[in-house]
Amino acid sequence: MTLNPSPLNLCRSGGCTLTGALSVTTHVRDAVTVVHGPKGCTHHNFSLLHATSIDNDAFISPNLVSTGLLETEIIFGGEQALDRTLDSVLRHNPGVIFVLSTCIVDTIGDDVGMVCGKVRSVPVIPVPTAGFLGGTFQNGVNNALIALAGMAAPGTKNESRTVNIIGEKNLEYEVRENYCEVSRLLSEIGVSVNTRFVHDIPSEQIARLGEARLNILRDPALIPVGKYLKNRLGIPYIPSFPFGISGTFTFLKTVADACGVECRDAVDEERALQEATLADFSDLAGSTVSFENALVDQDCIQTVRNLARALSMKIKKNGRQVPLPTTPPVGVAGMRRLLHRWRRAIHA
Amino acid sequence: MVMKQIALYGKGGIGKSTTSANLSAALSLQGLDILQIGCDPKRDSTRMLMHGSFIPTVMDLVRERGDAAITLPEIVYSGFNGVRCVEAGGPEPGVGCAGRGIIATFQILEKFGALTGDVIVYDVLGDVVCGGFAMPMREGYAQEIYLVTSGELMSLYAANNICKAIQRLSSRVKSRCRLAGVICNAKNQPREDELVAEFARKVNSTLVQYIPRDRVVQVAELNKKTVIEFEPASAQAEHYRVLARRVMENTRFTIPTPLEIDDLESLAVEFM
Repeated sequence: MTLNPSPLNLCRSGGCTLTGALSVTTHVRDAVTVVHGPKGCTHHNFSLLHATSIDNDAFISPNLVSTGLLETEIIFGGEQALDRTLDSVLRHNPGVIFVLSTCIVDTIGDDVGMVCGKVRSVPVIPVPTAGFLGGTFQNGVNNALIALAGMAAPGTKNESRTVNIIGEKNLEYEVRENYCEVSRLLSEIGVSVNTRFVHDIPSEQIARLGEARLNILRDPALIPVGKYLKNRLGIPYIPSFPFGISGTFTFLKTVADACGVECRDAVDEERALQEATLADFSDLAGSTVSFENALVDQDCIQTVRNLARALSMKIKKNGRQVPLPTTPPVGVAGMRRLLHRWRRAIHA
Repeated sequence: MVMKQIALYGKGGIGKSTTSANLSAALSLQGLDILQIGCDPKRDSTRMLMHGSFIPTVMDLVRERGDAAITLPEIVYSGFNGVRCVEAGGPEPGVGCAGRGIIATFQILEKFGALTGDVIVYDVLGDVVCGGFAMPMREGYAQEIYLVTSGELMSLYAANNICKAIQRLSSRVKSRCRLAGVICNAKNQPREDELVAEFARKVNSTLVQYIPRDRVVQVAELNKKTVIEFEPASAQAEHYRVLARRVMENTRFTIPTPLEIDDLESLAVEFM
C-alpha cells in the first residue's frame, strides 16, 4: 500500500500483472482474451485499454470476455465456468483465445492450464496473471509474450535481413512514433521488420516469428523474453531500442553486425542528422534546468543529462523543471520531441 | 434461557462428529431445543441423528439452484428426539474453496433466521485451516469452544493449534469467543486421562469429560444410531449425558495459552 500519491507510484508499469498481459494479447487482431475471474477485473481493464487507445488516436474496443465468476463458482470451483465461456467464445470463430487468470482463481486453485489443454478447434493459450502473487505490469507483459511465443514455428537458420520488434509498449503515448524511428534506422542499413511481437498483428503472424535474424527488445525489462526466444527459436537479441545520442550509433552497429550488413554510411548520416537537430535547439544553450523529482529510472536520467550537456545546458537543483519522459527518448526523433517540450517549458 | 452456542474442534478422525451427535442427543433429552450444524464438506456430522441418511447440504442446494430459490425446510431436518440438523456441505474434494462455502452457509442461515434454539452445536472439520473455518468462532456465533482430543501427540498438536486460533480471535474487540474446555475422546492409552487433563490445565482450561473408547460406539454406528439412542443404558451413554450436563453447567470460559511445540512434546513424554 502506498500513502504517497506520486505519479511514480501510480504509473502503469507498476500496476497489475493482468493489465500488462492484456496490453499484449489485445494487440493480436483476431484473438479473444478471456479473463477468468469476477467481471470487475475485465471491466476496469476494458476501460483502461479503451481510454488509452483513444489517447493514442485509435478507436479500438478490445476483445475481452469475462467468465463472470460469482461466489458460487468460488466455492465450487470456476473450471466449468471457464469451459462454458470458451465454448461460447469459439462460436465467434476467433483465430486464437488467450485465457488470463485473476487473483481469486489462483487463490482457490482452478486448474486453468488443464481446461485450456482440452482439444479445441483453435489454440487456447493460458497466461498466468494473478496480481496478488506480487508481479507487476511488466511481469504480465513478459508472461504474455512468452505464452504467445509458443505459437511460433521453430526457427530455421536463415540469412534474412529482418528483425522482430519485441514488447512494444502498446499503452505508451509515443508507441507509433518510436516504432517509426526504429523502422527508419533499420531501413538505413537495409534491414526490415519481420514481426511486431506484439503490436496490431494477426495471430498467424506469430507463427513466422522464427524467420527473423535478430530480436530487438523495447527495453531491458524484456530480457527474460529475449532469453526465452533465444533458447526456443535460436534468435539472438539486443536489449533495447536506441536511447540517446551514442545509443543510436551502438544500435546501428549491433544490428548491422547481427544481420551481416554494412552501417558506416548510416552512422555518418545519423551523426549529421543529430548535429543538425542539436543545432536546431542551440537557443537552449546556457539555460539552467533541473531534473530533480524526476520520476524516471536512472538510465533515463543519464540519457537526458547527456542530451542537456550536448546542448551546453546547465543542470542545477534550482534550475527550471523540464518535462521528462518515463522512458529514455528513442532515436533522434525522440530527442527532437523531447527538446520541443523543453523549449516550451524554458521559454514559457 | 439465553441461547447457548458451542463449537467442537479437533483433529480429523478424532471423533468430533460422534461426540457432537451424542452430545446433541443427550442435550435434547434434557428437554432442550437443539440445532446441530455440520461445518465440513464431508457432511457426515448429523448422520447418526438422521438414522444413517445423508441430508441435502446447504451448498448442494446452492449449487443446484442458487441461493435465492432455497427455503428453510429444505435445509433443516428433524432428527432423533427433534434435534434439528443442518449440513453446510461444500465443493467436491480438490476444487473450489470450502472455507468460503462455510461463510456462505452462515450467511444463508442468518438470512433465514435459522440460528435459533436453546443450544446450537457447531461440528467443525479437523483444523482451523483458513478464515472460513474460523467462521463458527466469529462474533455472534459460538462463544464456547470445546477441543476434542485423544492423548496422542498429533491430536494434542491439533488441539494446541486450535488454541492459537481461539487466542487470536479472542483478542478482537467485540469477540466473546472463549475456550470452554477439553473433551478427551480416548484411545485407551495408559494415563491418557492424566495427560489430557494436564494439557488442558497448561492451556488454561479444564478437562470437561473423559470418554473412554468403547465398542458400543461402533456397534451403534453400524445400526445408524447414536449411542444415546441405541444403548441408552450403557456406561458410554452415561458419559455423554454427563458431558451434556457439564456443558450446560460450565461457566469457566478462558482465553487459552497455547504451548510451544517443545513443551507439548515433553508433556507427552512425561506421561508415556
